[in-house]
Amino acid sequence: MTAIEGLFRTAGVTGSLHVMDIDTGAEVAYDADGSVVVASVFKVALLVELFRQADRGVLDPAERVTVMADRHTAGSTGVSVMADDVTMSLRDLAYLMIAVSDNTAADAVIDRVGLPAVNTMLAAFGLDRTWIEHDCRELFSSMVEDAGQEEMSTDPALISRLRALDPARTNRSTPRDMTRLLSMIWRDEAASPESCASMRRLLGLQVWPHRLAAGFPYDDVAVSGKTGTLPTIRNEIGVVEYPDGGRYAVAVFTRSYGTAQNQPRADAVIGTAARAAVERLRG
Amino acid sequence: MDLVRHLRYFTVVAEELHFGNAAIRLGMAQPPLSQRIRRLEEELGVRLFDRSSRQVRLTEAGRLLLAEAREIVARVDRLRDLAGRGESAVLRVGIPPDLGSSVIAALIAGFRERMPEVRPAPAEMWSADQVVALTGGALDVGVVRHPVAAPGLSFGPVLVQRPGVVLDETDPLAALSSVHLADLDGRQLVLFPREPGLHEETLAECRRHGFVPDEVHEAQTLGLVLAGTAVAFGPRVDLPGLSWRPLLGSPLAWRVSTAWRGEAGDAAVTFGAVAVRVLRENAGMTDDEAVPPRRVRARPASGFLA
Repeated sequence: MTAIEGLFRTAGVTGSLHVMDIDTGAEVAYDADGSVVVASVFKVALLVELFRQADRGVLDPAERVTVMADRHTAGSTGVSVMADDVTMSLRDLAYLMIAVSDNTAADAVIDRVGLPAVNTMLAAFGLDRTWIEHDCRELFSSMVEDAGQEEMSTDPALISRLRALDPARTNRSTPRDMTRLLSMIWRDEAASPESCASMRRLLGLQVWPHRLAAGFPYDDVAVSGKTGTLPTIRNEIGVVEYPDGGRYAVAVFTRSYGTAQNQPRADAVIGTAARAAVERLRG
Repeated sequence: MDLVRHLRYFTVVAEELHFGNAAIRLGMAQPPLSQRIRRLEEELGVRLFDRSSRQVRLTEAGRLLLAEAREIVARVDRLRDLAGRGESAVLRVGIPPDLGSSVIAALIAGFRERMPEVRPAPAEMWSADQVVALTGGALDVGVVRHPVAAPGLSFGPVLVQRPGVVLDETDPLAALSSVHLADLDGRQLVLFPREPGLHEETLAECRRHGFVPDEVHEAQTLGLVLAGTAVAFGPRVDLPGLSWRPLLGSPLAWRVSTAWRGEAGDAAVTFGAVAVRVLRENAGMTDDEAVPPRRVRARPASGFLA
């Protein structure tokens, strides 16, 4: 049993991981090519395509979009829970979809950018294990259809029925595909250098402290990232930057055996597994 | 008519001398059982049971035929066993090792009685391994401890076990008639290995009730409890050197159900029915209704697509 597997096991999850030194390509891999349910992690791919379209002049990131209060997608943050209609720019919607995983903001961006364009971009980057099947709205309807209720349940029988948790039938990727995408953002290869800088800034503004960031409790280490959450699914991908210039793309995907929504150890193991891998790369 | 199957019904009714009990043991309703016994009597041209009195009694002919019938049923089982090593239908069954040999034996015997044509191939496996085996097609049906969830798994009715605490008999708490979880604080705890969902839930419940184990061991046996270093949770045990005490307020509810992937075959359905009966009757489990589902109070960081 590897150290990483042991960490996942004691946290009550199965997991997969890929950590890559962005500058040398050195890597730590644990089931890094297995297909995983990405959940909200897909919003990073959407972010990239948004900024690429801005680079090409297809859209203006400052373009203002109105989201009607009665057209919200289910979600627990950002515009999704706001009471009134809002008008804001595409890039501010992008900020909310990354910083607090706002589903309504993400769907508003998708409405403008288009999912086929996101999949075309992923294919052009050679990320052929990554596929965005549906937007947040559709994903939510599939869960309501399978579960017969709108609340997120902890009933194992109901959770096992959800297509949204089967990588073959929902938004999917692999840990390695995701670290490649992050590396491209950090190496200014995913879009123009200005756009890549904007994306790095947004990923650095994510508010959640409980997963990847929890593994690096150091004031001089920067952690940028994007989480992904569905019943039993806890993910995060991100980049960890050390004061000596070392920077590491991280992708950790987990699935818990337990169905409880509050499992702090399952959240925290994303950080501890990432740190174990990063420390291995740093020697 | 399937003579062997009817003879098997006959042997069970002869053992129980009660159609209702025999029907329960065979996992069928009483009227079809009575009907089949009548058909067997017609076939053989003798009355096997005397049903005139309020008791069911074997007739003289029934007594004579019972030994032969048992012999035939046993030989047919043996024949199928031998043939089963070839190509006959096999049901690969996963069973948690802690259920105990008598429960496991009752599961297998109950299934054989109902489906002699299928050979059960039981494997003792903890839930985490069963989930992998069920998903990968290495098992047809399992008995798992919840919570476990994996895409495509379906579950039978959920039964509940209310564990007590197993203590070293010299533990001062053994002098009490029941133990509160908080009384255990500072002690070490033994939990089953490879039951990650159960671990998470049990430990969360312990913490909530004031028991933060000094250390948690994963072990299949009660050796550490006997050694006086730890306590364990589980059903009542009668072993020298150990005391079992109920937990005050029954704070722990362990849930068990059968599990399979995709469409369950006939054999898996039959096994599921046998398992529910055996776990109720032989392992002291009760129906799930006893446990009110806990209402989930949503938090933004763990909400939909957070």
